[in-house]
Amino acid sequence: MVSDEVLRTHLQELRRGTVVVASLVALRRPDYGYALLQRLAAHGFAVDANTLYPLLRRLEEQGLLTSEWNTEESRPRKFYRVSADGEAVLGRLLDDLTAVQTSVTQLIEGVGR
Amino acid sequence: MTSLTDRYVAATLRAVPASRRTELAEELRASIADMIDDRTTGGQDHAAAEREVLTEMGNPEQLAARYSDRTLHLIGPRYFLLWWRVLRPLLTYVPAAVGVIAGLVKATAGDAPGAAIGTAVVVAMQTAVQIAFWLTLCFALLERSQTPLGLPEWTVDRLPEDTHDRQISQPDSVASVVFLLGTIGVLVGQHFQHWTNDDGSRLPVLDPALWSFWLPALIVVLAATIGLEIAKYRAGRWTWPLVAVNALLNLAFAAPVVWLLLTDRLLNPELIERFAWLREGGADDVTRIAAVVTVVIAAWDVIDSAVKARRATH
Repeated sequence: MVSDEVLRTHLQELRRGTVVVASLVALRRPDYGYALLQRLAAHGFAVDANTLYPLLRRLEEQGLLTSEWNTEESRPRKFYRVSADGEAVLGRLLDDLTAVQTSVTQLIEGVGR
Repeated sequence: MTSLTDRYVAATLRAVPASRRTELAEELRASIADMIDDRTTGGQDHAAAEREVLTEMGNPEQLAARYSDRTLHLIGPRYFLLWWRVLRPLLTYVPAAVGVIAGLVKATAGDAPGAAIGTAVVVAMQTAVQIAFWLTLCFALLERSQTPLGLPEWTVDRLPEDTHDRQISQPDSVASVVFLLGTIGVLVGQHFQHWTNDDGSRLPVLDPALWSFWLPALIVVLAATIGLEIAKYRAGRWTWPLVAVNALLNLAFAAPVVWLLLTDRLLNPELIERFAWLREGGADDVTRIAAVVTVVIAAWDVIDSAVKARRATH
């Protein structure tokens, strides 16, 4: 049996890119950092806060997200939403995710045969 | 009193470019407050919740690095191999050569042969430390500035040659270079370190008058020979142009030496005066033997290189 450490690194590697996909999908509905973190967690994407917050800013700098300050509530919060460019990139990423899934399925079936 | 959150935000911002601080501070503060609120509504004490949240956020410097996309290593995968490839030879040959020269200077000019080895070791180590420090600093700066070096991509042509068909081995070349450096060191050194006589007076072995032209000229020839050794090592074998250069350099060294010997201008006349056996014909014998040895060595070296070049081309 492999060590938990090895398993953990492989799972981490596998999950790394999916956080971006999950964030872009989730931010089709505008949201702020912590609320997004909770939504992702509720859907099985356990992301660390210190990973997600810098990621949101990076995606914004890349033009995949737009942001707006909401000052209506108790404290001002920065709301992110996916931009047109972000939607385009997301489309490509989702296609690729599907392609990976398909390939893996085919491979499994091929091996089983 | 400043709260832990204030201190945390300040610590994070310190490592983030100034232009982005204000907005980032507000967002970070709001995020942390949201996280704390979430815990206090669950019935947790505010101070404990704050502590927990900030612990979860982790080292502020690391967070700042993530925000500003900064690397947390000195030299990353982009430059590491190049750094290592440059550093390795520099840490072997250069300290060795500098150490040898320092030792020779200490033994000759400094007139302390006993302390020479110690000096050589200390100087070699200091040189190694200096090289490692400055080179690593340069690469760390490159890493931080993300400067593209535009280095050629790796290709199969860059695979190391099979050492079996190398005619010129690395240890041989290194030994030759060290020997040549040593010879240069001796030529320079003997002028300052002087032959000890019974009465304690000291004299250079070679005629000090040669300093005005001939000794520097010979040193230049020796330095050129070091260049030839390097070219030869890079070629991996003797080639005809290298043989030609080798013959030329041998001639440029041996001809003046023999001529100076035969015209009695090489040895220091004062030295000859000092020793009875040199005065009474010994100097002539020394001269004749030295001239023959010089010619034989030069001729042998040229013939040897020609034979090897012939073998390499067949």
